[in-house]
Amino acid sequence: MLTRLLVALAVLGALSSPAVATTVDETDIDIKTREVAKTLRCTVCQTETVWESGSPFARQVRENIRERVEQGQSAEEIRAYFLSRYGDYILMQPPARGVNWLVWIGPFAVLIVGGFLLYRTLTRWVTSTPAAPQTVEPLDEASRRRIERELLS
Amino acid sequence: MIIELGHFAVVTALVLSLLGIAAPILGLWTKNADWIRVGRQSVTLIFVLLGLGIAALEYSYLTRDFSVAYVASTSNSRLPLFYTIAALWGGHEGSLLLWVFILSAFSTVAVWLHWRTQPAIMPYLIAVESSVMFGFLMLIVFLSSPFERIFPAPIEGKDLNPLLQDPAMTMHPPMLYMGYVGFSIPFAFAMAALFSGRLGEEWIKVTQRWTIFAWLCLTIGIMMGGYWAYYELGWGGYWGWDPVENASFMPWLVGTAFLHSVMVQEKRKMFKVWNLFLIIVTFSLSLIGTFLVRSGVLTSVHTFATDPERGLYILIFLAVVMGTAFGTLIARAQKLKSQIELDSIVSRESVFMFNNLFFLVAAATVFLGTLYPLMIETWKGSKVTVGPPYYNAVFMPIALGLLFMMGVGPYIAWRKASLDNIKKNFLLPLLVAFGVTALAFALGFRSPFTIAGAFVVGFVSTTIATDIGKVSAFFARRDRVNYLRGFLTAFAANQRRYAGIVTHIGVLILVIGIIASTVYQTEKVVSLRTGDEFTMGPYRLTLAEIHDVQGPNWTAKEGRFELYRGDRLLTEMRPQKRIYDASQTPTTESALYAINMGHVFLTMPEVSPDGTVTARGVINPLILWVWGGGGIMGLGVLLNMFRPRKRDE
Amino acid sequence: MTQGWKIVLVVGLLGLLALFYQGLWGNPRLIPTVLIGTAAPNFTSPQVGSSEPLSLDQFRGKVVLLNFWASWCLECRLEHSNLLALNERFSQDQNFVMVGINYQDKEEDAQQYLRTYGSTFPHVRDVKGAVSFDYGVYGVPETFVIDQQGIIRCKTIGPIIGEVYANYTQKILPALLAGSGDAVRC
Repeated sequence: MLTRLLVALAVLGALSSPAVATTVDETDIDIKTREVAKTLRCTVCQTETVWESGSPFARQVRENIRERVEQGQSAEEIRAYFLSRYGDYILMQPPARGVNWLVWIGPFAVLIVGGFLLYRTLTRWVTSTPAAPQTVEPLDEASRRRIERELLS
Repeated sequence: MIIELGHFAVVTALVLSLLGIAAPILGLWTKNADWIRVGRQSVTLIFVLLGLGIAALEYSYLTRDFSVAYVASTSNSRLPLFYTIAALWGGHEGSLLLWVFILSAFSTVAVWLHWRTQPAIMPYLIAVESSVMFGFLMLIVFLSSPFERIFPAPIEGKDLNPLLQDPAMTMHPPMLYMGYVGFSIPFAFAMAALFSGRLGEEWIKVTQRWTIFAWLCLTIGIMMGGYWAYYELGWGGYWGWDPVENASFMPWLVGTAFLHSVMVQEKRKMFKVWNLFLIIVTFSLSLIGTFLVRSGVLTSVHTFATDPERGLYILIFLAVVMGTAFGTLIARAQKLKSQIELDSIVSRESVFMFNNLFFLVAAATVFLGTLYPLMIETWKGSKVTVGPPYYNAVFMPIALGLLFMMGVGPYIAWRKASLDNIKKNFLLPLLVAFGVTALAFALGFRSPFTIAGAFVVGFVSTTIATDIGKVSAFFARRDRVNYLRGFLTAFAANQRRYAGIVTHIGVLILVIGIIASTVYQTEKVVSLRTGDEFTMGPYRLTLAEIHDVQGPNWTAKEGRFELYRGDRLLTEMRPQKRIYDASQTPTTESALYAINMGHVFLTMPEVSPDGTVTARGVINPLILWVWGGGGIMGLGVLLNMFRPRKRDE
Repeated sequence: MTQGWKIVLVVGLLGLLALFYQGLWGNPRLIPTVLIGTAAPNFTSPQVGSSEPLSLDQFRGKVVLLNFWASWCLECRLEHSNLLALNERFSQDQNFVMVGINYQDKEEDAQQYLRTYGSTFPHVRDVKGAVSFDYGVYGVPETFVIDQQGIIRCKTIGPIIGEVYANYTQKILPALLAGSGDAVRC
C-alpha cells in the first residue's frame, strides 16, 4: 500500500516537473527551402528575395516551395515552375540568353575595348613626346630638399 | 501664419535666384563688379530665406501643427523630439527643401570664402549655383510644396515611417545631400572655366578641397545608409543593389575617378578637358539620382510617392543642366586642351588613366544594371530583375581590378618607371600575392571572390607595408629614432600622400570585410518556445523568455535570448518585434553582438500568440571590418583636409 | 575632344533622356504576363460559404472570366459592381461563366464581403495560394479571360472600370462568345 502510494507520488512528481529544454535545429527541408527561396524575387517587393521579404506573398511562396521540397521536387524543378508562371522577372538576375547578353558581357566588352583604345592613345602620346634633355646641372639646396620630398611621393 | 511666412520666404528666394543668375551676367557684360556684388548678396540672402523656410517648417513640427499637410503626413504627437525634427526630411517635399537649403549654404560659403582669391570665377560660380537653386525652387514652389495646408486639419498626424525612426537613418539624407551638393561647387568652377575659356592653376587647389569634402560626405552618407539597412531591415546584409542605393553609388564612383585624375592635372598640368568632363558627369549623376528617386521610373525601397508630372519637370531640368554643361564642354574643349607629355606607358600617369577607365566602367556597369529593366521594358515589353547575383558576377571583378591598381599607382614613378623601380616595388608584393593565394587555396577556400581577393589583398597590403617600412626606416636612420617616430616624421613630411594611403588602407580593410561577411555568412532560422535552444556554428542561443516592452510610440514583443559559447554565457540578446502605435506598422529590431570582429546577429521575425517564435540567427564574419574600413577611409580624408599647409602650397 | 567622341556623347545623352522620358509613363510594379496563349491551369477548390468544391474543368467549352479578389483589397471594391453588371449582361449566354477566386483571405471576411456587396456567381477560396501561383498572380484584383478552347486570352491587372470595362463588354467578351475571337486584343 505504502509502496504504491510512493510510486504514484513519484510518477505525479515526474509528470509535473518542467519539460527539459529541447534543442531545435533546421531540417534538410528547411535548408533546401531557403536555398530555393533565395533565388526567387518577391514580386511585390523591391529587389528582395522571397526569403528575405516579410510580405504575405513571399510567405505563401515560401510555404509553396516547402511543400514542393517535401514532395521531392528538385531546386531546378521548383524554379522552373515559378519561371513558367511569372516570367523572367521572378529570377534575381536576367537569364543569360538572347538580348540579355548585352548586360552580362557588355561591361567586360567596354572594359576591354576601352582598355585597348586607352593603350593606343597612351602609345600615341608617348611617341609624340620629345625626349628629355641630357644636360645635368649642379644641385642647389632648394632642389635637394625638393628631391628628398619627391622621393617620398 | 508661421508656415505662410516660411512659404513666402521660399518664394522670395526663388525670385532672388533669378537675380542671382542675371546679376553676374550683367556684371560680366558691363564689366561692373558691383553687379557681381549684387549676385553675392542674392546668394547670401537666399541662404537666409531658405533657413527661415526650414525654421518655419520646424516650428510647425514642434508645435504639432497638423494643419500643415506635410507635417501631418510625416509626424505624430507621440513622435519623440529628435525624430520630429528629422521628420522634415522624411518625405519628398521636405527633403527637397533640405537639398536646396544645403546648396544655398555651400554656395554662400564658397562665394565668401573665395571672393578675394578667385575673383574671375565669382560671376560664373554665382550664376551656376543660382541656376541650380532656381531649378529646385521652381519644383518646390509649384509642384512639391511642404507648406500646403490641409482643411480640415486632422487631429493626429500619420506618423513618420517607422523605418526612418532611427539615428543612422536621420543623418543619412543630410550627409548624402552634402555630398551631392558638395560636388556642385567643383562643377560650377568647371563651368566657370568653360564659359570664361580660362583654366588657371589656382582652380585645381580650390576644386580639390571641395571635391574631397564632398567625397567624404558622400562616403559617410552611403556608409550610414548601409549600416542602417544592416541592423534595421534585419536580413543581415547592408547593400542590396537597390536602384536608389545605386543612384548614390554612381556619383561616388565617378567622383573618386575625378579625385584621382585631378592629381595628374595638378602634377603634370595635363587632362584638363578630361577632368572637366569627369566633374560634369559626377554632378549630372547627382541630379540623375534625384530624378530616379522622385519620378517613379523605378521601384525601390526608397522611392518617394510617384508623380509623372513632377518627374517630367525634373527630367526637363536635368536635360537643361546636362545639355548646357556638355554642350559648353563640346564647344569649348579646344580652347582648354592641355599639352600632353607622356614619357612612358609604364608610369603613374598611365596607371591613373587606367584607374579612370576602371572607375568609369564600374559606374557604367551599375548604371546599366539599374536601367536595364527599364530598357527591356521599353524595348520588348517584358520585365527582368537585375539583382545582387548580377552585380556580384560583373561588378566585383572590376572592383578587384581597381583594388589591384590601388597597390600600383602610389608606388610607380611619375613620367617613366624604370625596370629597377618596378622590381624594387612590385616583385615582393607579387610573390606575396601568389603565396597568400596558394595559402588560401590550401586552407580550403574555394570561392572565386576569396581566391581573387586573397591575391589582390596580398599584393596591395605588401606594397603599402613595404613603402611605409622603407620611409619609416629612412627617417628612423636619419634622425636616429625608432621606426614609429620615423613613420611619424615621414607622415608629417608628406601628410597629403600618407593621408591618402590611410584612406587606401581603409578601402583594403573594407573589401576584406565585404568578402568575409558576404561569402562566409551563415544563417539559421528556427521555431522556438521558451526554454528551447539552437546552435549556430560555435554558439548556442537559448530563449529565456518572451515579454512585452513599451516605447514612446510603440509596443513590442521582446525575446530574451542567452548567447553561449560552450558553457560560457557571452551575453543576452534582445530582438524585438515592434508595432508602432500610430501607423500600426510592424518592424523587426535586431540584436547584435560583436565577437572576433564579426557579429552574431539575431532577429525575431514572427511571434505567435501561442508562444512560438521564429528566430533568425546570422553570423557575419569580419563585418566590423566593413564599418571600421569605412571609418578609416574617412579618417584619411580628415588627415588630408586638416594638414598643415606647406610654404609652396 | 575628337568629332567621334562628341557624337558619341550627344547620342548617348539624347538616348538616356529619351529612356527616362519613356520610363515616366510606365508602371514599374506592373509585370506583364507570360501566360497569354497558354492553356489555363485547372484547379479544384472549395467554394466560399459552402463545402462543395468547384473545378475549372466543369466549364470546359465555355468562355470563363476568372477574377482574383480579396476582402481587404480596396480596388476590388471599386470594380465589384461592374463585375456584377458584367455577369448580369452576359450570363444569359450559356457559354459564359464567371468565377471569383478569393486570394489570401479569411473565410469569414470573404463571406462578410460577399454578403455586404452582393454575389451572383460562384466564388472559390484559394487555399495556400496554389491557384494564384498557377496563374502568376501577385496582387489583387487580377482578371483572366479564358476562351472556349481553354486558352488564356487576356489578363487585366487592376480593377475592371472605365475604359477597361468598356473594352470587356464591347470587344473582348462579345468577340469570344461569338467565336470570332482570333483578333481579340486586351
